[in-house]
Amino acid sequence: MKKENSRGILMFAHNNEEIDYFRLAVANAKLIQKNLKINNITVVTDPHSLKHGEKTLGKKFIKDAINNIVVVEKDKKFKASNLRLYKDTSHSAKYLPFYNVNRCDAYDISPYDETILIDADYLILSDTLNHCWDHNNELMMNWKYQDIMFERKDKTLDRLYDMGITMYWATVVYFRKTEYVESFFELVKHVRNNPQFYKDLYKWQGTLYRNDYSFSIAAHMISGFVDKGIPQLPTTLYKSFDTDDIHDVIADNEIILYLEKPRSPGDFILTKWGNVDLHIMNKWAVNRISEKILYG
Amino acid sequence: MSTRLTKALEFANYRTTLNNQKEQLKAKTQSLLSFSINGGSFTIDLPLLTFCKQLLDDSQTEVVLLDIYNNPIKVELEKFYEEILSRYYEVTNDYYVEYEKLRKARKVHKVLDLNEEGK
Repeated sequence: MKKENSRGILMFAHNNEEIDYFRLAVANAKLIQKNLKINNITVVTDPHSLKHGEKTLGKKFIKDAINNIVVVEKDKKFKASNLRLYKDTSHSAKYLPFYNVNRCDAYDISPYDETILIDADYLILSDTLNHCWDHNNELMMNWKYQDIMFERKDKTLDRLYDMGITMYWATVVYFRKTEYVESFFELVKHVRNNPQFYKDLYKWQGTLYRNDYSFSIAAHMISGFVDKGIPQLPTTLYKSFDTDDIHDVIADNEIILYLEKPRSPGDFILTKWGNVDLHIMNKWAVNRISEKILYG
Repeated sequence: MSTRLTKALEFANYRTTLNNQKEQLKAKTQSLLSFSINGGSFTIDLPLLTFCKQLLDDSQTEVVLLDIYNNPIKVELEKFYEEILSRYYEVTNDYYVEYEKLRKARKVHKVLDLNEEGK
């Protein structure tokens, strides 16, 4: 008889001065339990983020939501140098540290045979990701995404630069523990360790290190330097942007959002989003409504 | 601003909300019409349903189908067809009900199925 693979979800959560990523991970873990019916949840964090989480949420509450916490030390030099512009709608913007350096260690850290690596702010509002388990493809991630303000288009997010390779989103990655996937993550690490070399070669824009870049480059390399060589997930990646906001959570699988109008910045329409997973780029917005996800 | 102009702008806002909500409904339907079996993934659509029915009428029992990645997936036809057909009925019926509700909504809060306080 075939042995059942161990399966689980993996998230990374490192707070900065303003964004409580650990809280987001706990809130998302609650959604994962309810909508995906999965209890194997691993969160990789650092001592400070964990301590803050324990203080604000309580140890028992965290344990009920996350059954495996991996604590790692932060690379302080990287944290201080990787600054990203965070927006809380077009009305407020701030440069803050973006600590994402260890996502490429996901393969080594994951205790599962099959893992779905997700961003803490990729809200699980459906059971769609269950389609990935036991898949023929041992590694899947999306290059195609859909903005939930359907008439808004941003061509700059399609490639690393105008004439560069296709950009994969590291927001959701399904992988199995195989030699091929191990090699893929080794390449991601190589990009992380040599960012200037790969930046010159692949010409990504700006100074920020993003996992989307390193995963895209590794995908290109491991596919024999062929574009779009890694298959996409069987689900579409839906995204809201940091210029949008969340009005309310009305159920475990339904939220109401303010979406910024494309031709009228700072002006919004409302939308009800439900039963489809969603990446929320406005981190403050998720933190504001996290109370309702956590405690109902 | 004149009352007529205010009304026209309100209507424009309603139309944008309505169109976006329709797209959201389509996205949800599309996501629910995704079906995975034996390591492959399929989109339940009319070609897949008709092809499977055709194979069943041809007395086939076990067949190889190409999934969305063009990978060959072996399926037990009768069970597979039963499952995708029932999922298709369920999802499209829900789509119809929600679409009709949207079609009749003439105000933003009704499009979003909320009361006027936004609850």
